Amino acid sequence: MIYYGRSVRARGYYCLSALGLIICLMLVSACTPREAANQGATREITDDLGRRVSIPAKVDRVISLAPNLTEIVFAVGAGDRLVGRTSYCDYPPEAKAIPVVSDTLHPNLERIIALKPQVVLVSTASQLEVFTQQLKGQNIAAFVTDPHDLEGVFRSIDQIGEIVGEKDKANVLVQKLRERTNAVEQAVRDKQPVKVFYQASGEPLYTAGHDSYITDLMRRAGGASVTADVPGAWPKFSNESALAARPEAIILPTGGSMGAANANVAEALRQSPAVLQGRVYKINDDHLSRPGPRLVDGLEEMARALHPDAFGT
Amino acid sequence: MNRVTLRKTIIACAAMAAALLLAIVLMSLLGSEPLPVRASLCALASFGTNACGLTQDQFDILFQIRLPRILLAAAVGGSLATAGAGYQALLRNPLAEPYLLGISNGAAVGTMIALVFFGAIEWTRPILAFSGALLATLAVYRLARGRAGATPERLILAGVIVTTFLSSVIVFVTVLMDATRIRSFTFWLLGDLSGASKTLLPVTIVIAIAGALALTLHARSLNLLMLGERDAFDLGVEVGRVRIVVFLVASLLVGSSVAASGSVGYVGLVVPHLARLSLGSDNRITIPAAALGGALFVIVADTVARTVIAPRELPVGAITALIGAPLFIYLLRRA
Repeated sequence: MIYYGRSVRARGYYCLSALGLIICLMLVSACTPREAANQGATREITDDLGRRVSIPAKVDRVISLAPNLTEIVFAVGAGDRLVGRTSYCDYPPEAKAIPVVSDTLHPNLERIIALKPQVVLVSTASQLEVFTQQLKGQNIAAFVTDPHDLEGVFRSIDQIGEIVGEKDKANVLVQKLRERTNAVEQAVRDKQPVKVFYQASGEPLYTAGHDSYITDLMRRAGGASVTADVPGAWPKFSNESALAARPEAIILPTGGSMGAANANVAEALRQSPAVLQGRVYKINDDHLSRPGPRLVDGLEEMARALHPDAFGT
Repeated sequence: MNRVTLRKTIIACAAMAAALLLAIVLMSLLGSEPLPVRASLCALASFGTNACGLTQDQFDILFQIRLPRILLAAAVGGSLATAGAGYQALLRNPLAEPYLLGISNGAAVGTMIALVFFGAIEWTRPILAFSGALLATLAVYRLARGRAGATPERLILAGVIVTTFLSSVIVFVTVLMDATRIRSFTFWLLGDLSGASKTLLPVTIVIAIAGALALTLHARSLNLLMLGERDAFDLGVEVGRVRIVVFLVASLLVGSSVAASGSVGYVGLVVPHLARLSLGSDNRITIPAAALGGALFVIVADTVARTVIAPRELPVGAITALIGAPLFIYLLRRA
């Protein structure tokens, strides 16, 4: 009995120490920085947070953590290098075939690491300090974009083109987008700017503030945002200030991937000149809420809405 | 009620009602848009007839936006403070508060369910919020009641359990919801009075007044209950009935205010405490005084929330917690 018991116990110790050894090995291997991913020649590109991000010379595995960045990657012809996307990245349709790593707000680090990306593209909407630190610890470059105007969006396109090695395609794309932008600005140049209110959400009331690229977009479309001087990018806005602003036009980003949300003008604006004169314009929120190539579609739609006569329609 | 108490109650309540009225008038002069003082006062004094030289926009700001919001703040503050005073008396626990016991969270879960499943039908919100508050109340009460009865410590622990459990339910639902709605939800969860809905405002006000009256009418029983349930029973209090009434009324108060404005914290704790400190612990005075004081407190807090970074806004719950938490610590140290 005693002998038998001792042997079992001894075998138990063997098993335990073997298990311990395996765990130790796993820990050691997990803690050693991965060298496979970003090895060899690198270059430095400054992102929108002013960080100098070290990027491998040749990038062929990219993860995008925002729909606008997915759209940019595809638009510069690097969709085949995208190995992960968020659940919101639904454009272009080919993007839907790419594995989902998370939604924008809660990036799943394990799944991201498993996909072995060289670069993770992050927009400030999802930018998380700790998260980018964790990526850095895994030798994965985190590149952050945060455009505050259309020029900033063009810069994002150029930067992403440079990262994925499609600089020329990015240049051509930006050139085309610039031409379309110039055409819009040319068309509305002599028009009296329309006082616009951008209703990002109605209940509670959110709008586009000073730091939002939307404010720049509205100016280029021949509008003057009544909230252009409000600090921040997406401030919660006072109902009474919205009423007092007396906008001549209201833009409702709605009907895209947001569905029917935000389809109605906020209560405080129901008596505004914009509503009384029927100048409430619904524009596909995907064209306005994603600072990527389709933002210029949004610009054209906005300009046509604000100044229909300038476009002969 | 003897003469002295009655007179004291009437004087205290009349003074506070006057202060409340004054606050409503004064705070309606403040906002992100400046209004001409004299014309606004004249318009308020004439009960909304616009013969005082306000422009149509100014008139709308005053009567369509600012005044409804102030009235909602009053109803919410009154409701939460009354409910707090009720719970504190019934449970013989100075820390009993809708927010700390998880009852606000119960109402918040109810409201979220209403918003997700019956978004367009507004009246489902207070009903489901009331049900959520009532269920949370019963859960806390059950959990807190050990063999030795509900001790204050057990009650607070039960409250912590229910609060954290319901918080994770809320987090779970917000994660499942699409990103565009999360921001407005987090704002609402911290207490936001900007959505003073025309249909819900009268309901919230009526419930606040009726609830405060109902609990005041049970104030004598609550006074006796503070001696202990057995003593109260021996003195002829129908303990079970009073308990049901307080639970129902307080849940209704919390439910209607959370449905209208999210979780505004600390009101139910700080205001009844202040009322007891300044007027004594007779519930016949404490409850009506808490109702009026709560209204006053939230009106002032919300005025800060909507003016301090105007034209942007803060959630009012952040302000009440900023004022409430340090005040609460002070009260604890003094006691």
